[in-house]
Amino acid sequence: MCIYEDQIGKFDWRQTYVGRIKFSQFDTVSTAKKLIVATEENVLAALHLKTGQIVWRHVFESASSGNIQLLHVSDKVVTVTGSNPYLVRGWDSSTGVLIWEWSLTLQDNDHAEFSEWWVQHGLLVHMLPIFNSHIEVTMYNLMSGQNRGATSKLPAPWVNEGCVLTPPYYTCVSGNMGEQRLLTVDVTSNAVQIINKPLFDYISLDVFDGNMRPLDANSALPGFIIDEKKVLLIKNNDFEQLNIDIVGASVSATIIEGPSEQILLQAWDDKTMGFSLIAHSVSTGKEVPEIKCSDRDHRIPDPELAAVMCTKTAREQHACRILINGADDAIHFVQQAGRVLWTREESLANVVAVEFVDLPVSETDAAIESEFDQKEAAKMYSSIWAAFTRRLQSQFQQLQTLLHGLQHADRAVASSNTNDLVRDYFNLHKVIVLVTEVGKIIGMDNLSGEVLWRRYEPSLSTASLAVFTRRTARHPPLDAYLTIVGTHEETGNGLIISLNPISGELVGERSLQLDGRLLQCAMLHRADEEKLHGLVVLYEDETIQVFPVSSAPLVEDMYMYVAEPETAYVRGYALRYDGKEARAQAIWSLRLGGAGPGSPGHRIVHAAARARLERTHSPGRALADRSVLYKYNNPNLVLFLTEGPDPVHKEVVRAVAVDVASGAVAAAGSHRRARAAPHHQAVHADHCLAYLYRSEKHRRFEIASMELYEGKERWLPAGAAFSSFASERAPAVERQAYIVPAAVTAAAVTVTERSLTDRHVLLALSTGAVVEVPWAFLDPRRPLAPTAEQREEGLLPYAPELPLPADAVLNYNRTLHRVRALHTHPAGIESTSLVLATGLDLFYTRVAPSKTFDLLKDDFDYHLISIVLVALVVASYGTKHFASRKMLKMAWK
Amino acid sequence: MSSVEDEAGNSRYVIEGRVFPPENQVLSNWQVETRIHVNGGEYIGFIKEDGSFAVHNVPTGSHVVEVVHPDYMYEPVRVEINSKGKYRARRVNYIQTSQVIQVPYPLRMKALSKFRYFQIREQWRLTDFLFNPMVIMMILPLLLIMVLPKMMNDPETKEDLKQITNLAKMSEMPEMSEVITNLFSGGATAKASNSKAKQIKKRQ
Repeated sequence: MCIYEDQIGKFDWRQTYVGRIKFSQFDTVSTAKKLIVATEENVLAALHLKTGQIVWRHVFESASSGNIQLLHVSDKVVTVTGSNPYLVRGWDSSTGVLIWEWSLTLQDNDHAEFSEWWVQHGLLVHMLPIFNSHIEVTMYNLMSGQNRGATSKLPAPWVNEGCVLTPPYYTCVSGNMGEQRLLTVDVTSNAVQIINKPLFDYISLDVFDGNMRPLDANSALPGFIIDEKKVLLIKNNDFEQLNIDIVGASVSATIIEGPSEQILLQAWDDKTMGFSLIAHSVSTGKEVPEIKCSDRDHRIPDPELAAVMCTKTAREQHACRILINGADDAIHFVQQAGRVLWTREESLANVVAVEFVDLPVSETDAAIESEFDQKEAAKMYSSIWAAFTRRLQSQFQQLQTLLHGLQHADRAVASSNTNDLVRDYFNLHKVIVLVTEVGKIIGMDNLSGEVLWRRYEPSLSTASLAVFTRRTARHPPLDAYLTIVGTHEETGNGLIISLNPISGELVGERSLQLDGRLLQCAMLHRADEEKLHGLVVLYEDETIQVFPVSSAPLVEDMYMYVAEPETAYVRGYALRYDGKEARAQAIWSLRLGGAGPGSPGHRIVHAAARARLERTHSPGRALADRSVLYKYNNPNLVLFLTEGPDPVHKEVVRAVAVDVASGAVAAAGSHRRARAAPHHQAVHADHCLAYLYRSEKHRRFEIASMELYEGKERWLPAGAAFSSFASERAPAVERQAYIVPAAVTAAAVTVTERSLTDRHVLLALSTGAVVEVPWAFLDPRRPLAPTAEQREEGLLPYAPELPLPADAVLNYNRTLHRVRALHTHPAGIESTSLVLATGLDLFYTRVAPSKTFDLLKDDFDYHLISIVLVALVVASYGTKHFASRKMLKMAWK
Repeated sequence: MSSVEDEAGNSRYVIEGRVFPPENQVLSNWQVETRIHVNGGEYIGFIKEDGSFAVHNVPTGSHVVEVVHPDYMYEPVRVEINSKGKYRARRVNYIQTSQVIQVPYPLRMKALSKFRYFQIREQWRLTDFLFNPMVIMMILPLLLIMVLPKMMNDPETKEDLKQITNLAKMSEMPEMSEVITNLFSGGATAKASNSKAKQIKKRQ
């Protein structure tokens, strides 16, 4: 269950992320230069300039109380977090230690969300614009929070939603259409001076749609872009128009303090030229030749200049470091000529779906497999001689690859490109396909954590998403086939993306927008001639479509369910092919909410079905009296966890196990004064169900477990497939609840190839640990006082609290922040299950719930066994020699 | 700083305390690695250079305060703030939730012990090595080969041995071993076994 200290990093890796960059600034004061970033994920971190690795990191609350409103880097790092009340904190930039903090509560809670913050002359400035009325400005001592002079109110009826802040100036366009005026005010100066100019002095258009945005990346001069065409600077109480044209509409521009002059820097993604960068001198308007790049091969969607620092080298040249934030959440650290120093794939801080994909076998193995494939063999080698020559051929091929491998052994290790992505002997090597919230699909090598390919789909909305492996790589020469079903960002219609998970290239349907909104999607259980499983989608108007169309006749014995989370209304459909097309027919419905429509009922928090890959190979549990307790092994069972208000018990959590083919309820349970946990906190495997909830009465987390049994006699003859419609009997339910002495954020259960190995439940805790709990501890049959029989069976005596020992922590001291989901997948050997934890960080490892019984230990002493063997052989020959000599001597006597 | 922060009617409070680093341990930057979680991360506090912490904007009620460090274990504390703003800190007991064992407030959090995440690898010891079945397999035949002939030279033991072998032969034990030696040694020792066989024949 636990590892040795020298096994750190042997089977596991962790990748730490910060999330999409919201604010970033260079720390130039401390000796080791760093990049300080604050992110949308409420993380404050320092990144190493050379490698991009995290030097230190602070993770704030994930709720709005952790939102970062301001990042200011001088000799100290200052942050403002929260949303009324706010917390102002000062951090040491080199170590990350907290220096001071103070809390600030605004009286005016209604307008607080429009607050603006900045630091000026060692004072924290808070500005609150009240639209069409006035601006409130308050300054605080940065260290102590003492109010330096009370709030000052500037009357400004011209303030509206479209105003931009370029500290300390606040600029608005006001007035009727056609005679708009541009107004700006330095909100911190004692003497109020409003600059008021007609807008059309600066733009020649007749119509202005109010498009105005400030310069990015902590611009050295206060300025803004107006109508995506002109840059206006605020200088000497006046507007100054730069005579440099803005290249295009979606350009990110900033003014930087260069070594000798101020430079206007622009970055954009050109359709043909790729990522482009251009720089002009602010004073002369001339182009700066050194800072320029256009890289056809480097594409950054909607690049945004996040932070720029320029120095001059000895040879009078500009040396710039530019941090670029892409729309795909990746950040790139680029030199002035466009050379990328490092990239961080920050979209991985927000993974929404994970799929493990098997790798294809190597070419030689594929050849051998096809040779022994019955159908193939019958087709091609009718005579015995053909088969024999084929055998010789493949043997020769094997020999060749062996020799080749010996020759290039060192080179093969060094280069790990897609060519090396072949299945290993134990099928431990896989590709993990991760779909991130921003719409980026990433293929990752599970052993190294290296990103193999990435694909950005801006139109993919990931609010509800399903991933299907429609063809595994087991069928050479056919490639693996993976389909992602989501919704289109703009239309809300279904969107299907099909790709080869090994290479990341689009295949089959490619990227296909459907004509309607989707209710449900599923994969056909029977594959077509090309070994491809068809995809069935159910539209809102209850019609279905099958991809590819030729698979429609394969729709047979298909059932689907649709659950509405808010009303807890579940419907079941039967899918049939009537000779022309496949149709869906509603066959059952269930109101899990309890109340009728309109009144506040329950809502579904989570639905837990079995893992698609789970195959159960043990029909029951052997009891001490040598009889068998048969499991209720229903593959159609789904556990619905609902939560809702209750007039007597405040709130109630209900768990209902529903057979989603027939609509029958197999088991149910309810917990009073309890709240369901927000994330994936119900697990379902085989006949075991477990779910977590928070007991408000006892103020603790509890885990309830259920096991379903048929009884001591089988309902069906051995080997018969389970049918939801043939069994009218309800299973016997064993249930129990245990206290979890920690806050759980995600739960999963280990999956193995044949489900013969013990089952362990994995719990991710808020402390950052992932703990492995054997199912034996959650077993609902744990007796209070075990009898001799129960002890013989191996049941543990009941204990209310679940032990969470440190040696059961999978990730040891590698803390994982905000684990949102745990994903498990079987390996090729029965003992091992692969685990990936996603959240702010990624962590991959493999677990062996019943120890690695089918694998030699990794510390197996190969040397000792070979020494012993050699020594034994030598000794036996030696003794033989001595014995013969002795015989000879004896004979002479 | 006042401990009460009024916010639109309902009061918000500050939970204060101090974390003590594990003794006798010089940990660089332990302040950054240590976090204060209230109610499993609902409110998060950070530690200053001297180990003191304050979690701001906490409402009234019962809160579990945990000190989270990747390597050291701290005991959690339940802090209760009543509607009047009075604080009470007590030990967390998830089983008997009404049991009160008070602890001082402001909190003083001391490291209990180091987490033992890893199994300890067995040390290399001579006895372990010697009792390793493989090593025994190697050593024992060696002993038989080297020591037994030495013992044979001693006349007394020779007598004893003879007696033993005679006894053993009486019970017809060696036939089994003969079969095995025949199997393993093949032709080279065939002569020897032949002679032995003759001996047995004579006896019969």
